[in-house]
Amino acid sequence: MTVPKRAIRKQIKDKDFELIRAINSGRFDRFPDLVKRYEQKLYNFSLRMCRDGADAEDTVQETFLNVFRYLKAFRYETKFKNWLYRVAASTCIKKRRKSKFAPERELSLDEFYPKDEAEGPNQVPNWALMPLDKLLNDELLDKINQAIFSLPEKYRLVIVLRDIEGFSTAETAQILNLSAANVKVRLHRARLFLRDKLKGYFENE
Amino acid sequence: MNNDEHDHKHCLEMFDRLSEYLDNELDEVTCKDIEKHVKECVPCFVCLQTLKRTVDLCKQTESRPVPKDFSKKLKKIIQNMPKTPPAG
Repeated sequence: MTVPKRAIRKQIKDKDFELIRAINSGRFDRFPDLVKRYEQKLYNFSLRMCRDGADAEDTVQETFLNVFRYLKAFRYETKFKNWLYRVAASTCIKKRRKSKFAPERELSLDEFYPKDEAEGPNQVPNWALMPLDKLLNDELLDKINQAIFSLPEKYRLVIVLRDIEGFSTAETAQILNLSAANVKVRLHRARLFLRDKLKGYFENE
Repeated sequence: MNNDEHDHKHCLEMFDRLSEYLDNELDEVTCKDIEKHVKECVPCFVCLQTLKRTVDLCKQTESRPVPKDFSKKLKKIIQNMPKTPPAG
């Protein structure tokens, strides 16, 4: 006998459910509240994914239209924000496929393995020890943003969701329809890629 | 352990798991193993510290405000949407 899925489902608590239920029960006048709640988050997510202001605006607009189109299908089984980012990520991916970019590069772990000669420091470099607020400046922030932009999309998606948007591994896996193991692999490679870029920045300072 | 031994299999196994370690996603035994290893291996300790710092810096990237014109445009589009979404 199969246990009905509904019976084993956990109750999810979510601050957005009240608003979504209202919209889904016909209060379309409350849709702008939803837009207001998430426009900045989605704009920044799209900006990081599209690398271009105009494309990011198109993506946010398309994401909200898709949300409006499919909101009735939301089943209150995950946090609304996770569902929203799933729509946003898939909108970004579709947008990228429409444009003519070169095929994506794979990052292999081998390229980041410490090499005996090239990397074998006997002491921790300064940039890893200095207090964050002393280290941060506009130039460095710009460098980090550039490094994030230069990541191939599939790695960028994972690091943006995990380390910038703050989703857990399980949530990121759900948003991107990947296994948790796959999320971990991509995240580690993305972080190593950024670490290499930052290391280069501090070495050439 | 010195740098010449740094391509040791154990170091590479550690290296593969450093992100999971930083994210508290490893079991206690593996965590202890990594902690013990980085105490003895300077290059791995440096890897761990610089990776941790990379994650910290990533978290500090600022979010930009939505351009006012775009916010207005979005508001208009939403207002002009049909009041009934297509059946999903």
